[in-house]
Amino acid sequence: MKMTPLAILVGSLVLLMTIVFVVVIMPWFTTRDEAPSDIFRARTAAEEAGRATYIANGCVYCHSQSIRTIDWGIGAERIAQAGDYIADRPILLGSQRTGPDLSQEGGEHPDDWHMAHFVNPRYARPLSIMPAFAFLGKDDINTLTAYVQSLGLKDADNRLKRQTFWKEESILAYEAGPVENVDWLHHQVPEGWRNIPNPYPTSEAGLARGHKIYQDFCLGCHGPIGDGMGPAQPYIYPPPLNFTTLKGRGVSGGILYYQIMNGITGTAMPYFKKDLESEKIWEVGNYVAVYFINETDADAEPKGIDAAYEP
Amino acid sequence: MPSQASSPTYATAKGFCITSAFWMMVATFMGLLGATELIAPDLLENVGWLVFGRVRPIHINLVLFGFVTPGLLGAAFYYLPRLLRTDLYSEKLGVITVLIWNLSLVSTVVSLSAGYSQGREYAEMIWPVDMLVVVMFLLVLYNLIMTVRQRREPVLYVSVWYACAAIVLTSATYCLGNVIWRPNTGALVGIPDAILLWFYGHNIFGLLLTPLALGVTYYVIPKACKAPIYSHTLSLIGFWSLLVVYTHIGTHHLLQAPVPTWLKVISIVDSVGMVIPVMVVLINIWYTAKGRLGEIHADVGAKFVFTGTIMYFFVSIQGSMMALPQVQRVTHFNNWVVGHAHVGVLGFSGMIALGGLYYVLPKLAGKPLFSKFLADFQYWMVLIGVSGFTIVLTIAGLIQGNAWLNGETVYRVLPEVHLYYVLRASLGLMIFTSALLGFYNIIRTLYFNTGEFSS
Ligand code: HEC
Ligand code: HEC
Ligand code: HEM
Ligand code: HEM
Repeated sequence: MKMTPLAILVGSLVLLMTIVFVVVIMPWFTTRDEAPSDIFRARTAAEEAGRATYIANGCVYCHSQSIRTIDWGIGAERIAQAGDYIADRPILLGSQRTGPDLSQEGGEHPDDWHMAHFVNPRYARPLSIMPAFAFLGKDDINTLTAYVQSLGLKDADNRLKRQTFWKEESILAYEAGPVENVDWLHHQVPEGWRNIPNPYPTSEAGLARGHKIYQDFCLGCHGPIGDGMGPAQPYIYPPPLNFTTLKGRGVSGGILYYQIMNGITGTAMPYFKKDLESEKIWEVGNYVAVYFINETDADAEPKGIDAAYEP
Repeated sequence: MPSQASSPTYATAKGFCITSAFWMMVATFMGLLGATELIAPDLLENVGWLVFGRVRPIHINLVLFGFVTPGLLGAAFYYLPRLLRTDLYSEKLGVITVLIWNLSLVSTVVSLSAGYSQGREYAEMIWPVDMLVVVMFLLVLYNLIMTVRQRREPVLYVSVWYACAAIVLTSATYCLGNVIWRPNTGALVGIPDAILLWFYGHNIFGLLLTPLALGVTYYVIPKACKAPIYSHTLSLIGFWSLLVVYTHIGTHHLLQAPVPTWLKVISIVDSVGMVIPVMVVLINIWYTAKGRLGEIHADVGAKFVFTGTIMYFFVSIQGSMMALPQVQRVTHFNNWVVGHAHVGVLGFSGMIALGGLYYVLPKLAGKPLFSKFLADFQYWMVLIGVSGFTIVLTIAGLIQGNAWLNGETVYRVLPEVHLYYVLRASLGLMIFTSALLGFYNIIRTLYFNTGEFSS
């Protein structure tokens, strides 16, 4: 074959055009009129403004918006569908998960959690490596939060409605006073859980592990001494619980376990069941009980048969 | 126009070489900064314009368009006139191109750090900057075509094919991929946007970096070995199959997203099929060099280039495996891919860019390198750096990927990869330091009298 300039230039361009037709234009024809998915809705002006902030600050380099069949983390309840994206210009699928997927982030947390987290992610998540975004200013953080709360569209709206409802309830309880607040908190825990003591004995090793988990997950809100004065406190309402208010109120290992596992929707208190396995939840719960509440029911009856590892 | 082969000034080639060496410093600094922020996220707390999400696209666009592409073009603007036995059509136009090129890089840094981004990976630049990029590619193309037209050598050598194809195809895919007919967003909507973006994104490697790097390889290796190229047929097959196969594989970035299945199948099959264009070229080059590795070792430029071809082998075999859905369940979304990206862009095309640069520099300057030692030092720093990156990031990626498959949350895995982030930044420091020394060496070679270092 003789490689003339014409053969190279025209030949490669013709090839390119043919291939563009196959791998870009044909898929465009088959996917451009994608029907909206069951959760689709249009975004509001504030949400669009927040999306622009998201793009300007490169959130997409650390966060995907694309849930796969093999995922477990946030949003894994719903696999991504083409019809979720039909208003996304540009689409923000992302290629790197330095942070979690955000497809279904809307309603995972109430707004106050996001405010603390955006001001400095370490306030809400002590080991986070996400940058602080306080430099954006309050207004931009608010629109950014509006966008993040819309991720998941109709599903997000449902979750956010739940957050808003329980936010009002939790504020009422908090403002009624510490005793009423604790009553309200414990009233939300299903009956069975309330009567369960922590079935495992207190041990030095267990407390040390609990201490580590507390530092990695809880410190930013409840503070190093459990008084609720962590760095996130100024941004959160109702504020993080001061554990000493639980003293003498019959708080059980089961209540602590349930609250840590399930979180307290409406308040900034997140659920930890995806982050922490059962053993870790019992241990951090016992750490809180021993050091901050100063009373623990660990190893009290009824506790069933002792586990095999116990000395 | 000057068609007399007088003594050329090589102003354009020199301009591109300096551009590359300068922006390599800035680009690796940005990489180092990003890597540091992943270890110490509050180091630059609330310095908005240096937040990780802005530093990262600056790093990537600068390595692609500031370091690697100009480096490869610096060599091309030297070898093209020689292979065509004529002068460059217009050095003046070439110098203007270099200036516009630098202007576009400055605008890239300024606009991205100020938060003006279109948010599409590899297509972040806003429309006015896109326009500068398009203009600079078209100017290179014009200069190239006119030089080809005034050539006095009837036969076009392989390097000329690759250079012409790279520039003409990138001019086209850049416009398409950046959706330049929509100045405000530079994007389509929904899934078609993702398909177009990754068609374009992969073509930055496949239709820009790879052909330009292969052009340099086809020039430097036979020259350094003083041997003809092994097989003309393999050259032809390698060239055309690259254009056909590489352009089909963009969708392997979207295997886990809801795009049409037939398109995924095409991308997987062609990703595996990439073995053909890759191995054909490598066999051709390696057989040319067979028995002559001594000559290659003796020339630091050729050494860089030859190492680049080995990296090309590794990155491509790795890439073909990464396109298999079963493998991608573990590797997608984590640092494994970042490792692959650095073997590709730094180990393969970056090494060859540096090789081309060091190979042509003494010829541009008309005197030996200021310091062969520094060039060698840079070779080892980059080689250790990129091999280290690969090991460290692959381990980190495996930890992340397997932990996620096992149901651990992203937050839980952060402390597990921290150590590897620290190692990556340390290796990055080596690469950055070598970029500083390289810049010094290149400036000394071009503009000062040979110093005592030279050997
Ligand atoms: C350096 C990478 C990085 C960048 C850039 C980044 N994040 Fe994050 N993000 C993380 C990491 C890591 C986490 C997990 C730890 C945590 O919750 O802070 C996270 C968590 C989050 C969460 C909480 C998810 C949850 O419910 O637990 C939200 C919301 C979030 N990021 C939004 C954003 C937004 C919006 C931006 C852009 C303004 C952004 N992130 C930029 C890394 C990043
Ligand atoms: C983002 C802030 C935040 C973080 C992080 C956080 N909490 Fe909370 N926590 C709260 C808030 C807010 C409340 C509820 C306050 C209220 O409604 O009065 C709460 C309530 C609780 C309660 C309820 C006690 C009861 O008697 O019902 C427990 C137990 C608790 N937190 C434990 C933890 C543990 C253990 C961790 C770490 C694994 C943790 N929290 C992390 C904010 C946080
Ligand atoms: C030739 C065979 C190659 C194949 C089959 C291949 C395959 C792949 C695949 C499948 C991915 C996506 C991984 C994922 O997201 O899960 C990828 C990413 C990447 N590849 Fe390759 N690759 C090849 C060669 C190269 C070369 C030569 C370069 C550089 C010049 C390169 C640079 C990159 C980069 C930078 C990315 C990261 C893209 C991103 O997510 O930002 N690849 N490659
Ligand atoms: C000082 C040396 C360098 C350091 C410390 C460094 C660091 C980084 C970091 C931190 C990222 C972001 C990864 C992430 O999002 O998790 C990155 C991405 C990238 N870097 Fe570098 N880098 C360096 C040099 C280079 C060079 C010289 C090149 C190319 C010649 C290069 C090409 C790339 C590419 C293509 C990506 C995108 C990867 C992807 O999307 O998967 N880097 N680098």
